[in-house]
Amino acid sequence: MNDRISALSGQALAIMIALALGAMVILAVSESPLHVLLTLLDGAFGNPERILGTLLQTTPILICGVAACISLRGGLFNIGIEGQLFMGGFAATWIGFSFEMPPVLHVMAGLGFAAFAGLAWVAIPAFFRARYQTNEVVSTILANYVAVLITSYLTINIFKRAGGAPDTPPILESAYLPQLFSFSRANWGLVIGLVLAIGAHFFFTRTARGYAVTEMGANPKFAEYGGIDIKKQTFFLMLASGAVGGLAGGIESLGVHHRFMEGFAPGFGFDGVIAALLANGNPLGTIVTALFFGALRSGSLLLEVDTTASREIITVIQALIILAVSAQILVRRRATDSSAGERRWKF
Amino acid sequence: MPRAIELRSITKRFGSFVANEGVNLAVKRGSIHAIIGENGAGKTTLMNVLFGLLQPDEGEILIDEKPVVLPNPAAAIANGIGMVHQHFKLVPSLTVADNVFLGMEILKGGLIDHAAQIARTAELSRQFGLKVDPTERVGLLSVGIEQRIEILKVLVRGARTIILDEPTAVLTPQESRDLFETLRGFVAKGMTVLFISHHLEEVMEVSDTVTVLRHGKEVATRPTAELTKSDLVQMMVGRLVSFDRRPRGPVSGSRVLAVDDLWARDDRGLHALHGVSFDVRAGEIVGIAGVAGNGQTELAEVLSGLRPSTHGSVRLGETPLTGLSARAIRGAGVAHVPGDRLVRGVDRNASVSLNLLMGRQDKAPWSRGGIINRGYLADQSKALIERFDIRTRSAAAPVKSLSGGNIQKVVLAREFSGDARCLLIDQPTRGVDIGATEAIHTEIMRQREAGRAILLISVQLDELIALADRILVMFAGRIMGDLDGGAVSEERLGFLMAGVDEHGHHVEREMAS
Amino acid sequence: MEILERMFNVALIVATLRTTAPILLVALGGSFTTRAGIFNIGLEGQMLLGAFFAVIGTIFSGSPWIGLLCGVAAALALAFIFALLVVTFRANEVVVGLALNILAGGMTVSLLKAIFGTRGSIFGHGLVGLPVLRIPFAKEMGWFGQMISGYTPLVYVAFLAVPLFILFYKRTKLGLYIRVVGEKPEAAEALGISIAKIRYTASLLCGVFAGLAGAHLSLGYTTMFTENMSSGRGFMAVAILIFSAGDPKRILAGCLLFGFSDALSLRLQTFGVSSYLVLAVPYVVALAALFALSYRARPRIIQETLASMGRALSVKPPSAAEPPALAREP
Repeated sequence: MNDRISALSGQALAIMIALALGAMVILAVSESPLHVLLTLLDGAFGNPERILGTLLQTTPILICGVAACISLRGGLFNIGIEGQLFMGGFAATWIGFSFEMPPVLHVMAGLGFAAFAGLAWVAIPAFFRARYQTNEVVSTILANYVAVLITSYLTINIFKRAGGAPDTPPILESAYLPQLFSFSRANWGLVIGLVLAIGAHFFFTRTARGYAVTEMGANPKFAEYGGIDIKKQTFFLMLASGAVGGLAGGIESLGVHHRFMEGFAPGFGFDGVIAALLANGNPLGTIVTALFFGALRSGSLLLEVDTTASREIITVIQALIILAVSAQILVRRRATDSSAGERRWKF
Repeated sequence: MPRAIELRSITKRFGSFVANEGVNLAVKRGSIHAIIGENGAGKTTLMNVLFGLLQPDEGEILIDEKPVVLPNPAAAIANGIGMVHQHFKLVPSLTVADNVFLGMEILKGGLIDHAAQIARTAELSRQFGLKVDPTERVGLLSVGIEQRIEILKVLVRGARTIILDEPTAVLTPQESRDLFETLRGFVAKGMTVLFISHHLEEVMEVSDTVTVLRHGKEVATRPTAELTKSDLVQMMVGRLVSFDRRPRGPVSGSRVLAVDDLWARDDRGLHALHGVSFDVRAGEIVGIAGVAGNGQTELAEVLSGLRPSTHGSVRLGETPLTGLSARAIRGAGVAHVPGDRLVRGVDRNASVSLNLLMGRQDKAPWSRGGIINRGYLADQSKALIERFDIRTRSAAAPVKSLSGGNIQKVVLAREFSGDARCLLIDQPTRGVDIGATEAIHTEIMRQREAGRAILLISVQLDELIALADRILVMFAGRIMGDLDGGAVSEERLGFLMAGVDEHGHHVEREMAS
Repeated sequence: MEILERMFNVALIVATLRTTAPILLVALGGSFTTRAGIFNIGLEGQMLLGAFFAVIGTIFSGSPWIGLLCGVAAALALAFIFALLVVTFRANEVVVGLALNILAGGMTVSLLKAIFGTRGSIFGHGLVGLPVLRIPFAKEMGWFGQMISGYTPLVYVAFLAVPLFILFYKRTKLGLYIRVVGEKPEAAEALGISIAKIRYTASLLCGVFAGLAGAHLSLGYTTMFTENMSSGRGFMAVAILIFSAGDPKRILAGCLLFGFSDALSLRLQTFGVSSYLVLAVPYVVALAALFALSYRARPRIIQETLASMGRALSVKPPSAAEPPALAREP
């Protein structure tokens, strides 16, 4: 338990350092850091509507974060969650406007197809990672660009609705993911996200397969010695991660936008990866970090209105936090464990 | 005769472990001086002290009869000492000449003068009879040539005294003979050679003087001509005092593990096993003796499914194991205590109880319907910690917080508590203190009484003599002999380990293993 | 026939060279870190920051050359942070690289807003690009002259750098040490070569070239800065680096492949193919190359094993050492 507390306090210290650096950046773009902070807080939590806005932003980050946790836990980097999210979002929208189905079934079909699309999108990088050790970081990042362009192509060249906007037709109401409250677009996706996070935590800590995955991430040689099929497990773990990423897209389209358009859900996939990294691959911790990033995003909307600062200043802060934490984790590890610094990334 | 090197009462400790204790060594200039001893006798430590890689806790180093301090290898090189390590440090994609001159490149106009380096390498190669092609890439060359390059690296840095650590361990007999020829050439030029070995034959063949180390102490230094092989074995092995042979009943069980004509390759693609055949019966401990690197590790890996075999068969009872995955072999009833326990045996950051779970997480009652039975795991962890006397704060403590002996007990507890009919145990007490060693030996004997078939691989002869019913001696991937553990002669064991068979023939190492 | 003529002509070669240059510069930069044994996914961010500060520097000084220096300095700063975290703090290369990419993306947009009060892209404001170099007598050399003349200086730098890089890795001490540190760190350590120092040097050299690549994007390839204008070129460079293992000749070949697919796909656009699909072509080519070459890497390992076996067997007659039959190959 002591280790845990010192780890958490170290993490907190790193975040403080990052925030201090962030304050300096804000000063550099000639704004008062305090003003920016208050605006962010006001924008994120100022009234019930804004709080629900924060939750709305948190939902996709959380689900993408869980997707990232799944791969990180097994020692794999699925950085392609952004692409899986776009593919899933388009897939669900397509089900939503192309078919007529009874309400609940329609939503389930849409989300199911979204998850399948995410899974299919990661399948090739997953196969080459499992079979030939092809670096999955690069392959999934490059696949992101392709996914964004393909979904744009499908939206604009194939399925563009009548009228000017570069959107698909809206989905049928039977495919709407119900909202949690009447006055906000925050929807059941948040509940799905929480269930996924808790489910993933349960999977990793309580199930035999979750244990096998965790050990593969911690010490692949030990896992192999214990009779775990590394190749097979790597493949299926990447697929699972991709499916959850696709699901995040489906929830975003069926719950929030009710259509697919260019620039559908920018950056949620990356935010999810960062949230998961910051939580050290722990799904429950990802709930907290996703909420943090959701609040930053939601607060930044007001920031753009009330100050001269751009909302992208929050991505600067996010990046600084990751940098501070990544350095700090290793400082601590180096003090206790001489095998630290062993590099997975060699080619 | 002047002394090129003199070490005076060198003591080197690692924590509570004493690697060298008051060692004296005097090496005459222009001689070949061999240092011989079993694994762990302190030979390499002593040479690392002489090369400035380690600092002695006590004692004094003299070079050319003047006391010196060697804080780092650079200081040793400056004093004319060069060392050829057992593991070569060559860059595969560079040419021979580039490797020889790495770190002291010949420059012309700011650029590396490859032509000059090649010419100089060729010249040195001719001068010392070390045949190499300076323009070839090192990655394409054989181990023997790699060693010549390492020697050239030492020569080009102006060494007058050359230390070679186990130089023949990786060489073919022909390459070894070439090397000895070269070494004699050095001596003829007035240089001094110090070489570490545990091969009796070659020490007898090439050295002028022998120093025998045992348990970190110098046992004797004699002119080689005055010694016989059996004198050397006697001095190397000494009296077996550490462990007494454990009392036991006769072996009466049926055959459990049957290995027939097994061949396998090592990581370099060379044959590590040359047609190994043996049986292990229920309630029997079969020991595998041999100097490290003669195929024992590969044998354990093949039997546990971590390395493929290229030929031959393995059966457990009537079940063929050949070609099965590690998982299937485990499922069939083979448990494995790996030799590299910190790499393969445990997840250092995970708790003791999660380490005890590995390999059976899918099996009831450890898990049901895919869900881990945490109550059962907790109970079992507690029981195993108690039964195997694992000294840990709690079952939730990470394994890395335990001492080496206790980490090994975690591995044994896991592997012995399953229902395996056959146990592969590789180096059970390497790096483990005496108390834990006793406990581990007792546990292994208990497994024997329980009727399990045990294959025990160890480089420690006294351990094998204490535990094994039969001892198989491995050399260069072959089984040299099958000895009764109760009536083994140390001398015979020593000869077999050195590759000399029953009839006094020296088995040739056909290729690096 | 006419279509083919319209597709494949000198203009296509010119376009290929133009599109190859930015990715070639950044990939050559990445060869330093790759060869020093560092996986540098942060090239994208260094390039983007370089592009941005090249524009800023040009606008404030009026000189694109000073802008170029500003771009390089900014990329260097990012490269230094990368080296500090990865080499000194031993942080995970992937995490640090990704975070620096995100940092560069956020910082450029924030500063764009803070300085110019706008989003999206910036041009005008007195922004001038690097001058176009016209090689004398090029006109008299016909199509060849057309091919080699009329580029901005960094295009020439990129292509002329390739032989210099080959020379650097072959003939200079630093180049040799970078290779040794990446390939066999134990050898470097044993000879007293500081691994950390070499890795820092490699990271910083990488930053210089990533900065040049960025400056070329915003001052040569175009004369503007756009949000995320590096658009994955840094990642493509990493893909090229993986399958070229940092070898300059193979980097050139890989970059020409991308330049060509880029240029060709831009032509396809004029035939009415959707711009989205056209834009996806280079990424798909990068992925296909990555997968195809990692698939091919396998037989090579087997070949090496066979070669080493052959060496071992050549020591003595093979018959005795070889078992009667090979039941199973690893």
